[in-house]
Amino acid sequence: MSGNDLLDEPAPGLDADAERALGEVDVLFFQIGDSEYGTDASSVLRIDRALPDDLTVRDLGLPHKGHRAIVFDTPEGEGHLKVDAVNGVRTIPLSGLRRMPVAAAAASYAVGVCLDEEAGRPVLLIDLAETLKTQGRH
Amino acid sequence: MAAQARPELEFFCFRVGELRFGVPSENVLEVLRAGLLTPLPRTPSFILGVTGHRGQVLPVVDLLRFLSKGEARIGPRTRIFVGVSGSYVSGVVADTVLGLRRIPVSEILPPPLGGDQAAEHLLGVVQGSGPADGINLLNFSKLLQTARQRAVVR
Repeated sequence: MSGNDLLDEPAPGLDADAERALGEVDVLFFQIGDSEYGTDASSVLRIDRALPDDLTVRDLGLPHKGHRAIVFDTPEGEGHLKVDAVNGVRTIPLSGLRRMPVAAAAASYAVGVCLDEEAGRPVLLIDLAETLKTQGRH
Repeated sequence: MAAQARPELEFFCFRVGELRFGVPSENVLEVLRAGLLTPLPRTPSFILGVTGHRGQVLPVVDLLRFLSKGEARIGPRTRIFVGVSGSYVSGVVADTVLGLRRIPVSEILPPPLGGDQAAEHLLGVVQGSGPADGINLLNFSKLLQTARQRAVVR
């Protein structure tokens, strides 16, 4: 058996769907002001109405209205981030995701980019729980 | 008597703002249209954002901001050249691409003494027919190294 045979065969106990899922991730795309961002959809608990105390991350831009909030899980409890719109969840192959180049020296919550053809430009991927740490809130 | 060959170096030359620069051609991979950049939170001001190119994510550097000489403006005619030094790859904004020029080593003057931080990143300068025609020859490897250091130590 060659090395390629090993790569082509599903791992024991995984069906074809499960194997495909390993190479993909669901990304939730959302809008703050004029900018679109993405985040790992599995970290999102729900979309809610925004409350006055919900988190606004200035470096991501100020929301135009911010009537919605993304509610996400953190080790300390729920976090709420104000957004203008939730653009939906799309399944993205891992090959379409890139880590943030070290040379860019972006904020720690900017973990990578999605090279999404639909967006026309790289979409910044945000670690929601990390945004709270940088704001000193949870 | 046969003419003696004058040693030359090849530079990729471009203009940004009012300044002309040259980068050793071995440091330049290709030239792209600026297109849409994705701004990044909390980056140094000289990093305008990132762009996707051939499946790679490139940080894009504004040379004018880096050298404290103003700031570049991105327009429809703006170009980005992909510069490389070792394992570092970066895009750099250029208003106009002047092309590749072979410059005799004898015409390269040393950078001005006691110059500003722009001078620290110069290999030398080439004088033109007028004051605006001179070309600042960049030490691109040093420039990328400094950019990275400045980004990391913030």
